Amino acid sequence: MVEGLAIGACYGLFATAVVIIYKTSEVVNFAQGEMAMFSAFVAFHILSVYEWPFWAAFVITMIFSILLGILIEYLFLRPAKHPSILGLIVITLGVEMLLMGLAGWKWGAEQKYFSLPLNPSVTYEPVKGMIVTNWAIAVFAVTAFIMLFLYVFFKYSKLGIAMRATQQNKHAAKIMGIRTERVFSFAWGFSSLIGAVAGMFFASRATLDPAFMMEPFMRAFAAAYWGGLMSIPGVIIGGGLMGLIENFFGYYWPHWKPIVAFIVIILVLCVRPSGLFAKHFVKKV
Amino acid sequence: MMFKKKMVMSLIAVLAILSVATMTQAAPPAGFDDNEIRIGQWGPQTGPAAPWGSVARGSKLLFDVVNEEGGINGRKIKYFIRDDMYNPAQTVAVVKELVERQGMFAFVGGVGAACGMAVKDYLAANKIPWVGPSAADQDFVNPLNPYLFAVYPLYRDEANILTKYIVDKLKMKKIGILYQNDAYGKDGLEGAKERLATYKMGLVAEIPVEPTEKDLASQILRLKNSGAEAVLMYVNPTAAVIALKTSANVGFKPQWVSANTLSDYPLMFKITGGLFEGVITGAFGEIPDSKNPLMVKYRDAAKRLNPQERWGTFYYAGILFADPIVEALKKAGRNLSADAVMKALNSIKDYQTIGPKITWTEKQHQGTDSVMIQKCGPNASYIQLQGWTSNDLATWKK
Repeated sequence: MVEGLAIGACYGLFATAVVIIYKTSEVVNFAQGEMAMFSAFVAFHILSVYEWPFWAAFVITMIFSILLGILIEYLFLRPAKHPSILGLIVITLGVEMLLMGLAGWKWGAEQKYFSLPLNPSVTYEPVKGMIVTNWAIAVFAVTAFIMLFLYVFFKYSKLGIAMRATQQNKHAAKIMGIRTERVFSFAWGFSSLIGAVAGMFFASRATLDPAFMMEPFMRAFAAAYWGGLMSIPGVIIGGGLMGLIENFFGYYWPHWKPIVAFIVIILVLCVRPSGLFAKHFVKKV
Repeated sequence: MMFKKKMVMSLIAVLAILSVATMTQAAPPAGFDDNEIRIGQWGPQTGPAAPWGSVARGSKLLFDVVNEEGGINGRKIKYFIRDDMYNPAQTVAVVKELVERQGMFAFVGGVGAACGMAVKDYLAANKIPWVGPSAADQDFVNPLNPYLFAVYPLYRDEANILTKYIVDKLKMKKIGILYQNDAYGKDGLEGAKERLATYKMGLVAEIPVEPTEKDLASQILRLKNSGAEAVLMYVNPTAAVIALKTSANVGFKPQWVSANTLSDYPLMFKITGGLFEGVITGAFGEIPDSKNPLMVKYRDAAKRLNPQERWGTFYYAGILFADPIVEALKKAGRNLSADAVMKALNSIKDYQTIGPKITWTEKQHQGTDSVMIQKCGPNASYIQLQGWTSNDLATWKK
C-alpha cells in the first residue's frame, strides 16, 4: 500500500518533468525517459569509476542534467524552422534514440548496479502489516519538496509567471517583453533535473541499462494524462492513484497489472478528454 | 494513356525485382572445399541482449583450438560471427547473407528463441544443419526438424528437476513461482506443476511478470503472504534484481531457485548488490573453476587466445553448444558431405564434453533432459549442489 503510493509518487514526480515542458511549449517530450537514463548513467560513472562520494556525484549529476536539458532544447528543438507541435514531438523521439544509442556505446548494454545511500534493511512498521521503506520515505520527501517549490515558483516568481504566459500565447508573451527562448531553456533544464532525480529512484529499485526508463516513461505519461497534462498537483495525484490501482491489481490479479493503467487512460480520455484534474481548456483560434 | 504507361512501368519494375529474386534463389555456394569448412553463428554483439553475445565468441574459442590442433581431417574451420542485435528481422538478413554469399556448411549456437524461429525453416530448406541453439524452445524439437539438433535442456525439464530438489533435498513443501508471462516462463510453470502433481501438491502462489515491469511490490507481497518457503524464478535478470531488492525491503527471505538463464553469478551478484548470494540455479554447464580436464584445457586456451574475455558461463556455453558439430565432422571423415555429417549427428550417443550427455536419433533431436544444480556462494563463487540430473518425467522422451 505505502509501496504502491511511493512508486506512484515516483511516477508522478517523473510525470511532473513531462508536464513542465508541456506547460510551456505543448510538446510532449518523448526523450524525457532517456534524458533521465543518461543522467543516471553519469551519476553511476562518477560513483563507480571516479569513486566519489554520493552527494558529490548527486550534485554534479544535477548540474549535468540541467545542462543536458538546455543543450537538447538549444541544439535540436530551437533550430527547427516553422515547427509544428507534431514536428517537435518527432524531434524528441529522435533525441530519445540518439541518447539511447550514446549510452549503449559508452556504457554498454549490460545491466549495472545502482544504489542510493539508503539502507534497504532498515524498514519501519508504524502499523502492523504496513511496511515503510527508506526508499519510500525518500521519494515522499523529495516529491513534496519539489511540489512545494513548483507551486511557489509558478505562482509567485517572475520566471514562473513568464512560463505560464509563454504557454498561453507565445507571441503575446514575446510582445510583452518576455524572452521566450530563455523560458524554453529554463523549462527544459528544470524538467531534465526533475527527471534525473526520478530516474535515480527508479534505477535504485531495479538496474541501470540504456532501456530502463522506457516503461516508467509510459506509466508516467499515463499518470500525466490522468492529471490532465497541465496541472502539477493533478499529475501527482494521478501518479499516486495509478500506483495504488496497479498494486491492488498486482496483488489480486497479477495478470492484469501491466495493462490496467492504460485501460484507465482510455476510459479517462472517453469521459474527460482533458484529464481528471484539468480545468477544461479550449484554445481559441 | 498515362495509366497504360504507368502499368507498363510497374510491370517492368515487378519483373526486374522478380528476376533479381530468382537469381539469388539459385543454389547457394557450397559450405566447404578442400581446405576449409565454413560455420556461422548469429548473436547479439550490440543492443539490449549484448551480454549474451559471449556465446558466439565462446564457439570461436573452440574452433580456434580445433584449428590449432591441425583442423579436422585436413580442413580448417572458417568461422563467421554476425551481429543480429537480438532482432529476428536482422537474424534473417545476416543468415541469408552468410548462406547465399559465403556458403555455409553448418550453423551453431545462436542466441534467442525468436531469432532462431525466424530462420529455422530457411536453414532446413537449404539443408544446412544447425547445432546447439542457445535457447530452449519446444518448437525447435517438436515436431522434429531434421536439420536442427538441440543441446540446451528444456525449461520444463529443468523446472521439474529443480522442484524435485526443493521437495526432496530442501524438504520444503510451500513453493511459489514468479514467472515471465511468455513461453519461457510458462514452460517453467508447467514443469513445476508436473513435478508437484507426483507429490499430490500444488504451488502456493503463481505470479506472472511482464518482462518490462519495473515494480513488483504487490507481487512480492502476495508471495510473502502465501507463506512460500521456496520461490522458483523464471524471469529475466532485471526482473530478478527487482524481485530480490523488493523482497529484502519487505523482509521476505525464501529460498530463491532460478532457471539456468540467471546462472552467470558474477553478473547477477554485481547487479543485485550481493543479494544473489544463496540463490540456487539450474545450470547447463560445469562450474567455471571445474577440475574437469576439458574445462582446464579450454580455460587455459581462453587465457592464451582471448585474454580480455571474462571466463563466464555464457562464454563457455558457446563451446558446449558447438562441440557436437566438431565430433560429427571428425566422424564423417575426409570424404566430406552434408549427408555424411547428418548421419554422424543422428548417431551421436551419450556424447559429453563440458555440458550434459547428448544423444540424438533420427526421430529425436532434443539432445538432453539433464541439468546440474548450483548455488551462488560468497563473492559470486559457484558451489555445486548436484551433478548431472535427468528428468524422469520428461514427456518428449516417450
